[in-house]
Amino acid sequence: MLKKMLMLFIAVALVLAGCGSSDKSASNAGSNSGSSVNTGSINTGSTDEAQEENDASNLPPYEIVIAFPTSSSQTSGIPEVEQAINEITKKKINATIKLMPYSYASYAQQLNLMFASNEKLDLFVSGVNGAYSSQVAQGSMIPLDDLLEKYGSGIKEAVYAPFIEAARMNGKLYGIPSNRDLAADRELLMRKDIVDKYHIDLSQVKTFEDFGQIFKVVKENEPDLIPLVLFTQISTPVDVIASMYFDILGDRMGVLEYGNSEMKVVNMYETEQYAQLLNTVRSWYEKGYVQKDAATTKDTGPVLVQAGRAFSYIKQSKPGSDTQASRQTGYEMVSLKLPPAYSTTNLITQFLWSIAKNSQDPERAMMFLNLMFTDTDIINLLAWGIEGRDYVKVSGNIIDYPEGVNATNVPYGLNQGWLFGNQFKSYVFKGDPEDIYQQTDQFNKEAVKSPALGFTFDSTPVKSEVASVTNVMNQYRLGLETGSLDPETLLPQYFSEMKKAGIDRIIEEKQRQLDEWVKTK
Amino acid sequence: MERTNSRTQLVIHLFFVVVSAVCLLPFFLLVTSSITDESEIIRNGYTLFPKHISFAAYEYLLNDASAILRAYGNTFVATVIGTSVSLLIITMLAYPLSRRDFPWRKSLSFFVFFTMLFNGGLVPTYFVYTQVFDLKNTLLALIVPYLLLNGFYVLLARTFFANTIPMEIIESAYIDGAGEFRIFWRIILPLSLPILATVGLFQLINYWNDWFNSLIFITDRKLFNLQYLLNKILLDIQFLSTSDLGGNQAEMIAALPKEGVRMAMAVIGVVPILIAYPFFQRFFIQGLTVGAVKG
Repeated sequence: MLKKMLMLFIAVALVLAGCGSSDKSASNAGSNSGSSVNTGSINTGSTDEAQEENDASNLPPYEIVIAFPTSSSQTSGIPEVEQAINEITKKKINATIKLMPYSYASYAQQLNLMFASNEKLDLFVSGVNGAYSSQVAQGSMIPLDDLLEKYGSGIKEAVYAPFIEAARMNGKLYGIPSNRDLAADRELLMRKDIVDKYHIDLSQVKTFEDFGQIFKVVKENEPDLIPLVLFTQISTPVDVIASMYFDILGDRMGVLEYGNSEMKVVNMYETEQYAQLLNTVRSWYEKGYVQKDAATTKDTGPVLVQAGRAFSYIKQSKPGSDTQASRQTGYEMVSLKLPPAYSTTNLITQFLWSIAKNSQDPERAMMFLNLMFTDTDIINLLAWGIEGRDYVKVSGNIIDYPEGVNATNVPYGLNQGWLFGNQFKSYVFKGDPEDIYQQTDQFNKEAVKSPALGFTFDSTPVKSEVASVTNVMNQYRLGLETGSLDPETLLPQYFSEMKKAGIDRIIEEKQRQLDEWVKTK
Repeated sequence: MERTNSRTQLVIHLFFVVVSAVCLLPFFLLVTSSITDESEIIRNGYTLFPKHISFAAYEYLLNDASAILRAYGNTFVATVIGTSVSLLIITMLAYPLSRRDFPWRKSLSFFVFFTMLFNGGLVPTYFVYTQVFDLKNTLLALIVPYLLLNGFYVLLARTFFANTIPMEIIESAYIDGAGEFRIFWRIILPLSLPILATVGLFQLINYWNDWFNSLIFITDRKLFNLQYLLNKILLDIQFLSTSDLGGNQAEMIAALPKEGVRMAMAVIGVVPILIAYPFFQRFFIQGLTVGAVKG
């Protein structure tokens, strides 16, 4: 027995020793690369004051590793795109790039591994799935203010200043948003053939409640068609429409009511508006306007419309979304928008370009980022690939697929112009309005800026409350917001469960952080 | 007598027909729904007898046929090399542990057992494989992590050796002048076909179904293995169809046979393992019928 115990001790000791030493080597590696960053900045810093042209020859060659998420499987054409970009970047900043696409599903995990093992990584897309505040808290990226000042003049010109500022956290910038749709309104997307067939007068429909009239006509005349389905499981009708009244401040737990000048964080689920929205959807559900399995189905709105089972869905909206929906569903879609468009921190910090703490040459990373916002050739290469192979010019700045190529077999099919820097300088794909980017730019600038634009909630102090409130939300939200559950009895129950889970603590903490943010603003 | 006999037989047959049907029907449904027209699936759900047959799902998957073939190749190489090498390592570790005359038996066994309870966790594992052994983006990254996948297999093999191979056989081989290696190769291994087949089958499935190693160690698309590639395509499609990211992704989504692809991928992934199963079954039976000490 004693022997066995001894053995156990030795084994444990060995394992612990193993852990200890690996930790040490990790931190060593960290500090090593940290110091190399410093020396790097000293070396290049002295020369970089000069003109860009002269710089290229003075800078040592460097490979910029760029990680980003993609949902496309058509990535076989990436090496050629890299080559074409390298030809430009070698001349301008004596650097080459390496693109590392990851699936959205595994992106967060891959990033964590790369940070933990201190792998080479320069530029990456931060903020995906609301991770921005935790990535900042973990120290995954370096502050960009000085670099932006020095090498980012093109970025400052291209991106509307309030949007750059929106990513500021603890007084520092850790990420730069790409030029894309940075505001959102909301819309009901309907099949145009049905709207025309029954002469539905859309000009009479002004509010969310009025949608019911449209659904009524469809329900009575088209028994095989579900009047309203969910766009996706996350975006329920109520949730989408609620963005008219509230800035969800990151996670819907404690929101800011628009038009309330006091900057007071409230519980959205306890508000009058929210209850009213639930009642509306519930009455639609009872009349059979909403799909019966809305709370459980995995089929998305566009898929159901495409299959001829559904008439409409409600979603967040932006310029050009109706033509996009038409292409997505195969039916001509007509959109009924509910203004106003709001610009919130969430929309902006969803996708940001950041420089990783692992980067050995942050200056060069920023130089390339600057090119992503200014160099039209690089922008188009990243957005659409190689001319002749991935796209051909039709006229002006309109492009289309070459013959025999389509969306499912194009070699470089990332379709992520909105992510790679300045989309507004890229070509427009055939089918979209020619001035789509001007429209989007205007839409962004004209959108109402949420009073909390620029405030990012750091949920670490109330981590466990957030987890338990999330559980409660998962249990009730979908059922209530699709009308499947009766709000009369279940909404009060939802409150009390939330209270038990600690929503008040979260709201309190959020209020505290918001007050502090207002002071420093 | 004969009548009741045939009646029992009928009942037994019927019973097993039902059991087989329960096993086979889902698979059959998988195959048919992979060739059902997409809009029919969404409208009517999965059916055993589709009205409109469409190979769109397979066309989409094989559109990038070279990627799938390459992934098959990677998985195949990793599976064959991985399974055989890991069998060798497992048996060579398990055999000494099974010998009562091996001095370090207890502490080594404990060492193996310990790994079943504790492991380094993801980040240290990743760190060691990528930074120390530099396995990132190599085919070895698909093979090495599973070589000693599970101490359980070692203990399984050890127990088998200890319980079914009598010391007398080993002693008699000694007397005939055989060395340890000869005994291991010529006597122990041939007598251990059942455990080799069992552990081999486990490992084969582990290697074949592995996608995690690809997920964390491989970023070069040429080295993706089959399951990871299929999994990635599936997740990407799922993400695409729920996302609102714009551009002409919309068109792509419309063109994709989303439900069908899921099924087609399962078919592509499962076929080779179906072929492997009966092959191993043969060994199971052989192994069980081989006996050494008679009486």
